[in-house]
Amino acid sequence: MYRYDEFDHAFVAARVSQFTDQVERRMSGEISEDAFKPLRLMNGVYLQLHAYMLRVAVPYGTLDSRQMRKLAHIARTYDRGYGHFTTRQNIQYNWPKLSDIPAILKELAEVEMHAIQTSGNCIRNVTADHFAGAAADEVADPRPYAEILRQWSSVHPEFSFLPRKFKIAVIASEHDRAAIQTHDIGLQLKKDDQGRFGFAVWIGGGQGRTPLLAKKIKDFLPEADMLSYVTAIVRVYNLHGRRDNKYKARIKILVHETGVEELTREIDAEWAHIKDGELKLPQADIAAINAYFAPPELGDRAEGWGELAAWKKSDPGFAEWVGRNVAPHRHPDYAMVTISLKPIGGIPGDASADQMDAVARLAEEFGHDEIRVTHEQNLVLPHVALADLEPLYRALLADGLATANVGLITDIIACPGLDYCALANARSIPVAQEISNRFGDSARQADIGDLKIKISGCINACGHHHVGHIGILGVEKKGEELYQISLGGSADENSSIGQITGRGFGPDQITDAIETIVDTYLAHRSSADEPFIACYRRIGADPFKAALYSSEAEAA
Amino acid sequence: MTVIWTQGGIVENDPWISHGAEDAPKLLPLAEALEHAQDNAPFGVALQPADDVRALAPILDRVAIIALTFPAFSDGRAFSQGMLLRERLGYQGEMRAIGTVLLDQVPLMLRTGFDSFEVDHAPTIKRLVEKRLPGIDLHYQPAADQTDAGASYNWRRTAILNG
Repeated sequence: MYRYDEFDHAFVAARVSQFTDQVERRMSGEISEDAFKPLRLMNGVYLQLHAYMLRVAVPYGTLDSRQMRKLAHIARTYDRGYGHFTTRQNIQYNWPKLSDIPAILKELAEVEMHAIQTSGNCIRNVTADHFAGAAADEVADPRPYAEILRQWSSVHPEFSFLPRKFKIAVIASEHDRAAIQTHDIGLQLKKDDQGRFGFAVWIGGGQGRTPLLAKKIKDFLPEADMLSYVTAIVRVYNLHGRRDNKYKARIKILVHETGVEELTREIDAEWAHIKDGELKLPQADIAAINAYFAPPELGDRAEGWGELAAWKKSDPGFAEWVGRNVAPHRHPDYAMVTISLKPIGGIPGDASADQMDAVARLAEEFGHDEIRVTHEQNLVLPHVALADLEPLYRALLADGLATANVGLITDIIACPGLDYCALANARSIPVAQEISNRFGDSARQADIGDLKIKISGCINACGHHHVGHIGILGVEKKGEELYQISLGGSADENSSIGQITGRGFGPDQITDAIETIVDTYLAHRSSADEPFIACYRRIGADPFKAALYSSEAEAA
Repeated sequence: MTVIWTQGGIVENDPWISHGAEDAPKLLPLAEALEHAQDNAPFGVALQPADDVRALAPILDRVAIIALTFPAFSDGRAFSQGMLLRERLGYQGEMRAIGTVLLDQVPLMLRTGFDSFEVDHAPTIKRLVEKRLPGIDLHYQPAADQTDAGASYNWRRTAILNG
């Protein structure tokens, strides 16, 4: 993984001093709260319902054990003993004191971490496929490009006060595990028939109150042009994006209102002026960054094949966990292991300091010291030998980290909601917990199969409800929490925006409603091999609506 | 109090300051500036964020000063306008930030090509006069200021400015 050089160390240290000075000037009244707000946001500091919140960047979701231990230490020392992994592969702490934040940032800098641009109307922390560097289906590791983008976008003088936040995601396979079509810019690394690398470029994806999928504007942008082309996009957006209404300020609205062809013409015209300038990426620089991401030495461990089969046979719990949480690695003797942060009845994405320490220890022992954070709020050990799966499983079990539910109905994405968030209209966490408890039986979950539920506590859609197979949106109506359901969303290479079913459900009805939807699916699926989303796409919304609202129709 | 600041310090008796003397030359809006381009008197232009700076291309050599407006500290359009003026149009004359000019934005303005600043926020003026700018002297990207490419990566720049 990337290691800071002197430049990076000095930069992050300078950023900490800069923010410390800004906090002092805010305390003394030299900066107004209004003017301070974007400065603290660009350093990851939010003011929430009950306290400040600090969001720490985990660039493209990659961590090593030393960094994970530091995150555990911060949770223990400055917070209440836990942290919350987010849908942007970051971690947030919900209870730090503002006066402790400069100290936390200093501690993070010791392990090459920071909170730069995890919020604010700037280019946010760049995300990537959480299986990068390990997946069998990628053309190359996308993270070096994400790292180049991270560096280039850090305290960018032209793009620090954009109309609105700006999110970039990078993948390197046809199967999209990073939801690039919901990003302001999505980049898919590709290799052409002459072995050259380049990107398919999407722009204008976003969720919030106007969910729109990104549009592809380039099939193959040579890798050397990545920074100049992204600069052209962001410059056109900075000059022309709407600033009169924050809900219409994302680039998705500019794409929508200008038209993708016209906007692409403007971007290409801007790009023509800068493509052969200073931002052209020399091959040597790309190679130098790539070298940091050299895969670990993965020696042959063929003994794992036989052992794995035997272990699975003797322990159904282990077999179930392997079935759900373990995915094939590029190296046939290895696997990618997802550590679910969705215990039955738990808070999605939360991890205690002890659990973080445990993951750090296991990454060292079994995982070549690499950890990933997924946008689905789980953790991944991307390089585990098949021969180590059983001892890893035993250790995870002991720390409450062996929940075998990846991709199942209880692997729920949920925003923090009204329990923490100043923007929320309704609670998300208790809804997630109740659904998790209702469907927690492992046989029942397995029978239902792949099903993604995503819950947001307000229209800003941090819980990605628009792209959930089942999306739940909490709203407030006449002082009461009400939950709207949408169906048919998806955030992969076949992205779609879910459709609202009809009137919403109260907090005490929403889990029953989800159960009705699940029962309807089970009754209509062509076989157990037809997953929920495929069934929904085949039969449409009507059977689900009929089931959800039939008693009402009868009553009327 | 409104002052004009440059990296050389406070500029006394600047002719282009807002609310200057009655007979002082005025900064003209874009449309008027284009109309007056044939006049002999030196004139300056004050652009609004929605103006297309490229319209100035034919008259750039006759413009004494270009002021770009920050209607609010959160409105960053003038950063891109500044980049276009310097990098695209090759404008080398004075480029002034007017409107809401606050300390923490000044280093970004310096990097995007601004070289004079109309400031009325007292704590900002104090820090500028003390030459205590809150910028970071290491840059991950080229901009319009005079910085050299870093040793490791072509796109990465190290700084010589305090900006």
